[in-house]
Amino acid sequence: MPVLLLLTFVTGMLAAPKPVDFLREVRPILSDACFQCHGPDETTRMAKLRLDQKESAVPKASMILERVTETRGPRKMPPRHAKVQLSESQVATLKRWVQEGAPWQEHWSYVAPKKLAPPSSAAKKWAKGAIDQFVLARLEQDKLAPSAEADRTTLLRRLSLDLTGLPPTPAELDAFLTDRSPQAYEKQVDRLLASPRYGEKMALHWLDLARYADTHGYHIDSHRDMWPWRDWVIGAFNRNMRYDQFTVWQLAGDLLPNATREQKLASGFNRNHVINYEGGAIPEEYQTEYVIDRVETTGTAWLGLTVGCARCHDHKYDPIQQKDFYRMFAFFNNIAEKGLDGQKGNAAPVLKLPNELQATLEREMEEAIAGREKQMKEADVPGKMLEWEKGRLEQLAAPARAELLAHYEMEGNFNEATGTYRHGRYLGQPPAGNGGAVGQSAVLDAPARIEVPMPEALDGNKPFSVAFWFRGGNKLEPMTIWSQKTNGAGIEVGNDEVFSIGDLRRGAHLLVTLTDARGARRVYESLEAFPYNEFTHFVLNHEGEGRFALLLNGKPAAMRESGSQERIAFANRGPMVFQQMIGSLDELRIYGRVLSESEAHQLAVVEPVRYLLFHSGINRDKAQMDLLREYYLTYDAPEELKALHKRLKQLKAERKQLEEQVPSAMVMSELDRPRESYLLRRGQYDQKGEKVEAGTPGFLPPMPAELPRNRLGLAQWLTAKDHPLTARVAVNRAWAMFFGTGLVKTVEDFGSQGELPSHPELLDWMAVDFVESGWDLKRLNKEIVMSATYRQSSAMRPELKEKDPENRLLARMSRFRLQAELVRDNALAVSGLLHPEIGGKSVSPYQPPGLWEEVAYGAQFSAQRYVQSTGKDLYRRGMYSFWKRTLPPAGLAIFDAPDREKCVARRAVTNTPLQALALMNDVTYLEAARKLAERTLKEGGAEEQKRLRYLFRLATSRYPDANELKLLTASVKEMKARYGANPLAAAKLIQVGESKVEHRNAVELAAWMSVASAVLNLDEVVTKE
Amino acid sequence: MHEQLARRQFLTGFGATAFAALAGENPAAAPHFKPTAKSVIYLHMSGGPSQLDLFDPKPQLKKHQGQDLPGSIRMGQRITGMTSGQSTLPVASSLFSFAKQGQSGMEMSEIIPWHHKIADEICLVRSVHTEAINHDPAITFIQTGFQQPGRPSIGSWVSYGLGSENKNLPGFVVMISQKSAINTDQPLFSRLWSAGFLPSSYQGVKFRAGSDPVLYLNDPDGMDTEVRRGILDLNTKLNQMRAGVVGDPEIETRIAQYEMAFKMQTSVPELMDLSKENEATFAMYGPEAKKPGSFAQQCLLARRLVERGVRFVQLYNRGWDQHNDLPRDIQLQARATDQASAALVIDLKQRGLLKDTLVVWGGEFGRTVYCQGRLTETNYGRDHHPRCFSMWMAGGGIKPGTVIGETDDYSYNIVKDAVHVHDIQATLLHCLGVDHTKLTYKFQGRHFRLTDVHGSVVKAALA
Repeated sequence: MPVLLLLTFVTGMLAAPKPVDFLREVRPILSDACFQCHGPDETTRMAKLRLDQKESAVPKASMILERVTETRGPRKMPPRHAKVQLSESQVATLKRWVQEGAPWQEHWSYVAPKKLAPPSSAAKKWAKGAIDQFVLARLEQDKLAPSAEADRTTLLRRLSLDLTGLPPTPAELDAFLTDRSPQAYEKQVDRLLASPRYGEKMALHWLDLARYADTHGYHIDSHRDMWPWRDWVIGAFNRNMRYDQFTVWQLAGDLLPNATREQKLASGFNRNHVINYEGGAIPEEYQTEYVIDRVETTGTAWLGLTVGCARCHDHKYDPIQQKDFYRMFAFFNNIAEKGLDGQKGNAAPVLKLPNELQATLEREMEEAIAGREKQMKEADVPGKMLEWEKGRLEQLAAPARAELLAHYEMEGNFNEATGTYRHGRYLGQPPAGNGGAVGQSAVLDAPARIEVPMPEALDGNKPFSVAFWFRGGNKLEPMTIWSQKTNGAGIEVGNDEVFSIGDLRRGAHLLVTLTDARGARRVYESLEAFPYNEFTHFVLNHEGEGRFALLLNGKPAAMRESGSQERIAFANRGPMVFQQMIGSLDELRIYGRVLSESEAHQLAVVEPVRYLLFHSGINRDKAQMDLLREYYLTYDAPEELKALHKRLKQLKAERKQLEEQVPSAMVMSELDRPRESYLLRRGQYDQKGEKVEAGTPGFLPPMPAELPRNRLGLAQWLTAKDHPLTARVAVNRAWAMFFGTGLVKTVEDFGSQGELPSHPELLDWMAVDFVESGWDLKRLNKEIVMSATYRQSSAMRPELKEKDPENRLLARMSRFRLQAELVRDNALAVSGLLHPEIGGKSVSPYQPPGLWEEVAYGAQFSAQRYVQSTGKDLYRRGMYSFWKRTLPPAGLAIFDAPDREKCVARRAVTNTPLQALALMNDVTYLEAARKLAERTLKEGGAEEQKRLRYLFRLATSRYPDANELKLLTASVKEMKARYGANPLAAAKLIQVGESKVEHRNAVELAAWMSVASAVLNLDEVVTKE
Repeated sequence: MHEQLARRQFLTGFGATAFAALAGENPAAAPHFKPTAKSVIYLHMSGGPSQLDLFDPKPQLKKHQGQDLPGSIRMGQRITGMTSGQSTLPVASSLFSFAKQGQSGMEMSEIIPWHHKIADEICLVRSVHTEAINHDPAITFIQTGFQQPGRPSIGSWVSYGLGSENKNLPGFVVMISQKSAINTDQPLFSRLWSAGFLPSSYQGVKFRAGSDPVLYLNDPDGMDTEVRRGILDLNTKLNQMRAGVVGDPEIETRIAQYEMAFKMQTSVPELMDLSKENEATFAMYGPEAKKPGSFAQQCLLARRLVERGVRFVQLYNRGWDQHNDLPRDIQLQARATDQASAALVIDLKQRGLLKDTLVVWGGEFGRTVYCQGRLTETNYGRDHHPRCFSMWMAGGGIKPGTVIGETDDYSYNIVKDAVHVHDIQATLLHCLGVDHTKLTYKFQGRHFRLTDVHGSVVKAALA
């Protein structure tokens, strides 16, 4: 209920018309309608007339008026074709301005803020501090009264959501509701500010500005690891790092004297931009884009200016010259980066972040490896190998020929090589030959059909063996490599779904499937995965009666059997067919017996060497030389050398393993010699104009001479006490976080075209106070949430709906939907599913299948295929969801989460049917409804009413009133009846999600789950009131 | 206009309700002038189809087969990192023959026989050019008017400007079909149908093959319509009670959104259900028309969508990036798209919808006359070529049976009537009754447009 305010104190007399407010009324018109051609941009300035400066504009005031009142003809302004035209009321404003003698003021945000004393007011009692005094004074101007304080339940829910992003628990609510001390509210504020969740919540907003994501964006959009930086941000907020320091570290942590690891990591802020690796793109073009992105992001995040507009020409509205833009550009242009990068995860420069143990291990390993490599070098392996190669060929055993039924060498064809059997057939164009395991291989890059005739039936009653080399191609789905079947019965060999091992390596398991004439199947699966993008040698021994043994690269590999327990009879003479295979194939041999381990070794290890020694005339490439060296050092070298080699290999493998475990992040790091920077005409990377030196925009306070002309100097300039923008922008953003709208609505634009502050004196007071407090963010946030303004009820009053529908005057608290991540977090929290872990690698929660795959590039790169997390990682906070820029998390994007390709200072808040569908049917919310129902049935007492009150309070923080309870009760009854009549449906419904079903009675659970779902979908649940 | 737009921005902007975009309410008072099209179906051929092998015949090139591209033609223009390292840029003439089609005598390649039938329906522009030479910037450019990420897509601009005419379906629908070619296809990005800085309710809604054509459309197993209705009724009543207490009009909007979601649970499956289409229709769209997710079926769905008043239907067909094995791969792509593209135009015409529907066909750039990789008698590849490529438009106020623009003997430079990507965009908006210079949105202090500060309507393309 609104406070009955003391409006009687406001004078009721009819004031004379207020004098025109230049900044609020006139300048925006000039800016929007005139500056385009009569503003700061010299190149497009018409009639040499400049209207953004007092000296040139004021003398022309009457002329302006004359021209804007023309309705037609060439004298009319703005011209007919201009996209911005003036309304009658705008013309009237200009008229008033001119009549009053054309008063002029400089644009507010270019001048340093002043801390005026808060206005005193008759309603002082309401005001709890300076914020309220300013707000109240403004309300009184419009004869509005503030609203009463919200009830405690609403207050604590609001406060918890604002400071931690999570709703209060029933216990927390009870503690507050029963606390009668005068500091009860403040205690809650302090508790929440001290919660580690506070850092997460603050970071959430910062991540949008920082355009943080888990992929590189642009074309290929493979994965990167910037989560260590993200975790640093969370920690910095939790430690309440001073905002000036927070700024300096992120813009220039690497340039601080003796920069610590943490300071370097913080500089990763400016590596969060998108990075391209599209084949054929021109590196310089993209390196330029990265630098431009840094300038624009710095402009938005710290200056609140749209400096990007000056990329191609002088700014049309703000006095930012194109040259200013490229002077800023020069600060960010000296990074040791490549224009095209990111194909293997993080792009240089990278900071490795081993923990202490890892660092020690790494050092020890490096030493051990270096020592042994030195020994190896001294051993003169090439010299020894020259000796070794002489005469070695003759000693190497040739592949076994006993019962070799057929051999296809794949040297550009499918000819049978023993000469005793028929050639294979390729239907269509022959496949490309290419470097194989032994000589050439057959490369198949598309479904095709190759038929290899069978000399004898592959018979389930007889032993046989099939040996071949295989390397997978650009396909990730399960695939049949070859099959030998008649009428669907027979044998099929393939692989399961391909998975990633690190960034560039892939693996899969071999599958052998037997099918008999009745359709019964048995599957043999290798326990060990084989490397999918390297040649692997397979020997598939059939010992008889369906017993298979596998040798991978000459070594026995276990297989697991599944499927039909009966014996699968198979025997047919149909051709062996390669049809769906994508990949490379080499040296197919079919034997009428099983091969021994040494025979398999001969095929997999010796034969490639024998081939190379035999063809000693060919120029060996590096891979071939390495192959020979590896063989020599493993099998033929003197014992000591063999041992040395073995140890070195082992060490390197361990180091690699360690490297894969050590996290890293992309950071800033200066080139020894700075790149030269130029003004780029029309913003084009290849249109260099004059050379520029690093510097700050001319219309802002100059950069003191003693500051270095690098990013550190820039950061120090930004955080100088009297900088007109930095503190205002930060304070305004904090305000927007709590109230939904900033004091300056355009949080990203404090320039000429941005909106004027609704409470300019308050903004300035807070900005100066913030700096004076030592840029103390927790203090700033506390000041806001302690205010009476913040504590008001958010209920809409009829008179406000009319007078202030957007609530810019703050006669009540704003009421708005939670941001995407919090919609999710809230549902997980109230259902008890939320996993509290803070930080770490991003996770992949539920997402409808196929979303990445239908737009992604292909198997060569990471993050092209969505692999859903399991267990606790399904229930982490939304901010830890893996953020793929070309397809951001679907459940979040629906609720206005940005794609993070660019810096975003404020998100839209829309209200759409797709959001309704997501809350209705996304597994995330259905499972949350089930868990909420289970929790209620378990913890909410035995009585239905009690249970309903419990459920409703978990979701909304308050108890339902009698009418609400009546509806809920009726609904439980209805749902119980419906599911009671259809228990099968109940059993199905409660299966949703991966968490265990813990309630025994399916019908009861399904009924309660339905009601819980209705409650979780309530406007109130997804809204901060 | 300005105030109208400002009002609209207020109505749909940050924090306010954005019901309009999806619910089909038209926030603009009217288009700027009388439209000639109500809907657009944009068939984007992702990867860059070769104009030399489809629409831009250069029979005389046979004489220059294998010769280096003359410097007088290339004029030092930049080429991609994929061919800049080649020692020569040998001319590869098309393996395919061209012939005049229809009364208009429009010349087309033999590999798109179904297109021959619509020669008198379409306006073929042989002189489109773009500024980007790589996929990412080029496709972003043609779909959003700007090479770098961050701007709204064409469909978003259109939904923002005009809303939808169907209250139960989204105003901007996106469908993606996969490659038929053998070589790798290029990726797509959600930014191509994103609303950029417009409220996200204007972004394209993907319709996908399979059981959930719109994300989260289906109720879970074990929840029948009665239960769903019961849940919604409870939800609505509780929401109404809360609205009574807090008085926030946003709650009314949310209630309406749930009702629309519920209606979509019927209207979308009804749309996707092709069982009432007759066999003749399937036959017209070709053998793949019954295959969910195929380009052919998506063309048929596109027709059903515009039939129901959906404003903008965006299709993407992947797989046109033929750096090597072009003759093989372009035929595979053509086989999968030729018939359905033509059938769409014919079907729309038969149903009287073509006059109100603008159909656009084209990729993000063209391909080079010179060969990438090894040139043989039967095989060649082509690199990206931004300086000229072919697109066509049909219906919705477009002049049928017309050819616009000419390229030089090498299909390398434009010699007559150049049409910039922004001009195509301006023309598209023009057909919808929208002046591309007046459809603006203020963001970061600037009044942004789809066509940036460029573009002019291609008058010659208009009927």
